[in-house]
Amino acid sequence: MAVEGINVIEREDGVAVLELDLAGEKVNKFSTPVMQYFDEMLEKMMSAKYKGLVVISRKPKIFIAGADINEIKDIVEPADAKQKAAEGQRILSKFEDLPFPVVVAIHGACMGGGCEMALACDYRICTDDKSTRIGLPEVQLGIIPGFGGCVRLPRVVGIQAALDIILAGKAVDSRKAKKIGLVDDVVPQSMLEEAAIKKVLEVAGKGKRKKKFQAKGFVPGLLEGPAKFVVFNQAEKMVKKNTKGHYPAPLKALEAVKKTYGMSNREKALDIEASLFSEVAITDISKNLIHIFFMTESIKKQTGVHDKEVKPRSIKHMGVLGAGTMGGGIAQLGADKGIEVRVKDLNNDALSKAFVAAASIWEKKLKRRRMTKFEFKEKMGRVSGGTDYAGFGRMDLVVEAIVEDMKIKQSVIGETAKHMPEDAIIATNTSSLSVTEMAKGHPKPENFGGMHFFNPVHKMPLVEVIRGEKTSDETTATIFDLSKKMGKFPVVVKDGPGFLVNRLLLPYLNEAMYLLEEGMSIEEVDKYYLKFGMPMGPFHLIDEVGIDVSVKVAKIFHEAFGDRAKPSPLMSKIMETGRLGKKNQKGFYLYDEKGKKLELDQNVYKDLGLNTPTNPYNAEVCVNRGIFAMLNEAVRALVDDKIVEKAEEVDLAMIMGTGFPPFKGGLMKYADSIGTRKITDELSRFADDVGPRFKPAESLMKMADGDEKFYDKF
Amino acid sequence: MGNPRDVVIVEGVRTPFAKAGTKLAEVHASELGKVALTELIAKTDLDVNQVDEVIIGNTGTPSDAVNISRVVALNSGVPQNVSAFTVHRNCASALESIASGYERIKSGTADVILAGGTESMSQMPLVFNKGFTDFMMNLQKARTTGAKLSLLTEFKLKFLKPRITLMEGLTDPFVGINMGQTAENIAKDFAISRLRQDEFALRSHQRATAAHDKLAQEMTPVFLPPKYKKVVEEDVGPRAEQTIEALQKLRPFFDKKYGSITAGNSCPITDGAAMMLLMSREKAESLGYNPIASIKSYAFAGCEPSRMGLGPVHSTPVALKRAGLELKDMGLVELNEAFAAQVIGCQEAFASDKYAQEKLGLSKAVGQVSDDILNVNGGAIALGHPVGTTGTRLVLTLMKEMQRRSDVQFGLATLCIGGGQGGSMIIEKEA
Repeated sequence: MAVEGINVIEREDGVAVLELDLAGEKVNKFSTPVMQYFDEMLEKMMSAKYKGLVVISRKPKIFIAGADINEIKDIVEPADAKQKAAEGQRILSKFEDLPFPVVVAIHGACMGGGCEMALACDYRICTDDKSTRIGLPEVQLGIIPGFGGCVRLPRVVGIQAALDIILAGKAVDSRKAKKIGLVDDVVPQSMLEEAAIKKVLEVAGKGKRKKKFQAKGFVPGLLEGPAKFVVFNQAEKMVKKNTKGHYPAPLKALEAVKKTYGMSNREKALDIEASLFSEVAITDISKNLIHIFFMTESIKKQTGVHDKEVKPRSIKHMGVLGAGTMGGGIAQLGADKGIEVRVKDLNNDALSKAFVAAASIWEKKLKRRRMTKFEFKEKMGRVSGGTDYAGFGRMDLVVEAIVEDMKIKQSVIGETAKHMPEDAIIATNTSSLSVTEMAKGHPKPENFGGMHFFNPVHKMPLVEVIRGEKTSDETTATIFDLSKKMGKFPVVVKDGPGFLVNRLLLPYLNEAMYLLEEGMSIEEVDKYYLKFGMPMGPFHLIDEVGIDVSVKVAKIFHEAFGDRAKPSPLMSKIMETGRLGKKNQKGFYLYDEKGKKLELDQNVYKDLGLNTPTNPYNAEVCVNRGIFAMLNEAVRALVDDKIVEKAEEVDLAMIMGTGFPPFKGGLMKYADSIGTRKITDELSRFADDVGPRFKPAESLMKMADGDEKFYDKF
Repeated sequence: MGNPRDVVIVEGVRTPFAKAGTKLAEVHASELGKVALTELIAKTDLDVNQVDEVIIGNTGTPSDAVNISRVVALNSGVPQNVSAFTVHRNCASALESIASGYERIKSGTADVILAGGTESMSQMPLVFNKGFTDFMMNLQKARTTGAKLSLLTEFKLKFLKPRITLMEGLTDPFVGINMGQTAENIAKDFAISRLRQDEFALRSHQRATAAHDKLAQEMTPVFLPPKYKKVVEEDVGPRAEQTIEALQKLRPFFDKKYGSITAGNSCPITDGAAMMLLMSREKAESLGYNPIASIKSYAFAGCEPSRMGLGPVHSTPVALKRAGLELKDMGLVELNEAFAAQVIGCQEAFASDKYAQEKLGLSKAVGQVSDDILNVNGGAIALGHPVGTTGTRLVLTLMKEMQRRSDVQFGLATLCIGGGQGGSMIIEKEA
């Protein structure tokens, strides 16, 4: 059956052009109907007398986005998964089997299945546009290329370049694509179709292309041939190091390449790929990663408010108060995304820190040639600063990142508002103070909200957009939109102690301190959590955050939440030993001048008056105590206090804000995989054995009655 | 009540000035210009879409930024559709930029102009001499290895002697003498003693030192690329500990035997930038600005290249006439201190009937420029003279001082120009 938007135009010169412009879709993608239509169409073409075929997209900045992920996410049976891959392989192989040359003309994103289709064709030409990116991102979704990508990419670009793309789920730009031989030519967009047709006419009648990757030079030749095991071994080591054993897909992809490389029987090779695909496609890990993918995609469409009429304001000039670590990071990010930024601090020495921070981040890019010196200058030119309010008269929005002191913040906010246009927005980057309370410093509290970045700003992808009681929809939408513009994932949270992420993180960190007190060793606890999938253990994290900051925040939480948030006495004790964490190179661990983590500080136990660790608990107990404490608090935040509205917001925030293991799908997804009943039982047991702070939240107990799932209810 | 087409100065900003080869040595002229212009735009909360033209003076013409005005404009956030050009009138380039802006606004061609100057004398390059340039060209043209080898045998050691662009720039191209020697001529013509020159130089340092806080008001700091760790917040030149004895000890630099011009009573070669925002009166009013000054007139005039230091005496009467004013109406005068001898020479010539009659074609002397209204916050001997920047710096310092004084209505900014010219601008206090 025909699919609207896919057409074959037969030209007078004998060249056929296959146009892709799926009706009613923003992007071209391989859904089942599209694939079936391709199947019929290609079947007919087998007997057509074309000189050749050009495949081209009519979408503005997209070639083919890939297969329809919705069709993969629900597959649970390995046989179904294999069937899905085999069917795609069979249809794409038809491109390879057409009796005339096929040239693919690529402009815009050419991902996954799109890339695999291009690989099945004879020639590939792409545009030099920035939007043109070709790659195989499958492993990021916990699957492997299953439409022949693992088989065909190494044949076109060699195993080294192919593994580089497949194992990391990368996409390459036109320059790199040409360099590795993924495309045959790069042309300006206006010449793309013409160049593709010219290519067809040039090779017409000369039979199909027999391209096989040829390494240049002796050593590369060895590595692509007799010594390829070296490449495979290296790749395996790298993958194991990077995934820490939590993500099976890259290893499966590697296995697919290894087993099929050089195989002359195409069908057999594709069958191996399909089998390996089916093994990973049905895993929870893949489902979880796809779930995260959909969450992040949905953020792109959201505005941060329910009222669809509310439009965010466009921010061209942004002020930043305070040139410290956060202020400097925020300034750098804004300027990086094309916003004119003005930083204000008390004196020039303080101010220089913002410039130093911005310059050093871009300098790294400059060194890696991700940026030219002209771009560096241009971006650096967007960051200026002063010790007065010069320039604030044209600010659309100011982010406040000064010292965490309510009185000072309120007064500075009031003063700043005076120097800004009447309706301008001020956002606070506070991590621990009440936004509602702080808004009292602003003459128009509706124009005030929270914009909580995480440290380091340029790396951490989360921004908590905090609504104070009076924060307007327009302000919320503007901060939400600005966060996206700055390349972050915003999550709207209600005002409350610690907002969302820190509120959940604190019981978890606190629990680590209790474990230490009870005889666990620092390294064991950290190791257990690493194994669980956290990017770093809780003690390492406390060092990163700063012991002083942790103590301060712990106090605030104790006041706010009472006994259940009572900090372990070790918390303040450790600070009294002069340890501040990474910032003074001395915390639970020692750090070098550049902040690189060295070994455990052997004196910690003695200084805290602890005996040599006896490690009374196993990994499961250690991890459950921290994670379930976090979960217990999450229920209170989500269900009782409605800090966020949906379980998936908790998950997105915890993954993006703390690195909660993505393969588990997020905290609430993880909870659902265990079940509320079991969690409640475990918490009750901890409450009896360890302390009443573990008492399950009322609303959790209610859910446990019916073993309800968070994702069903919230 | 002014005319709607009056040209007003809304605000001005400069970087600190630093003797060449010191604190700002690594900063490109375009970066210096950017720092000053960015701050000016911020300070005035200027909507950059209102700008009609950016005009910047520069003499070094860095080969990687030949129209440096455009480079500065784009790096300062001026939109791409706003045009920009660079002007070169040697020492008065940054007075020329203001004058060019004045003409455009006065004529109704433009309403908002960013004008100024920028110079890095530290970064003026050495260039290969003609012999070496030819040698390299031939080497590139040679096709065969044999031809290349035979050419290589023609290499001469003298090819390695560079041309020092800075020194060539400071040498008069018409009479072939150095700027210092033109000052020696004036010292000898007017019999200006070494002591008088040194005392003048000392006063420049004393006044600049005393005016530290005032000068700070016209400045914005430069954070030093590429690391941005260090910041230059104040002028490097003024020396609080300067003594007359130390100045007297220095040996004459240009005429070792009979000369009196020393490094101490001349201005140092310097890096720095200065920018100002010019508008038509009606535009400034409609945008709600309160300008600091308005430009009454300007003039440039030629004089003897070998006595270029007397240029101000030639251009000032013309500017005064255009403004319908007399020298005695000037409450403050900024006269650039290229050399102490040249400033004193100007004072003498301004007051001389003979000079007026013989050189200016006037019946009597232009008038007196007394010490107490001349360069009251010090001058280039202490602050330095970044050639392409000084014109704007003079107007900036002048208007800021006029703003501080209730009894001053008019002020004169004037300077001598290498090659034998003078430039003058007369401004009136607004606010």
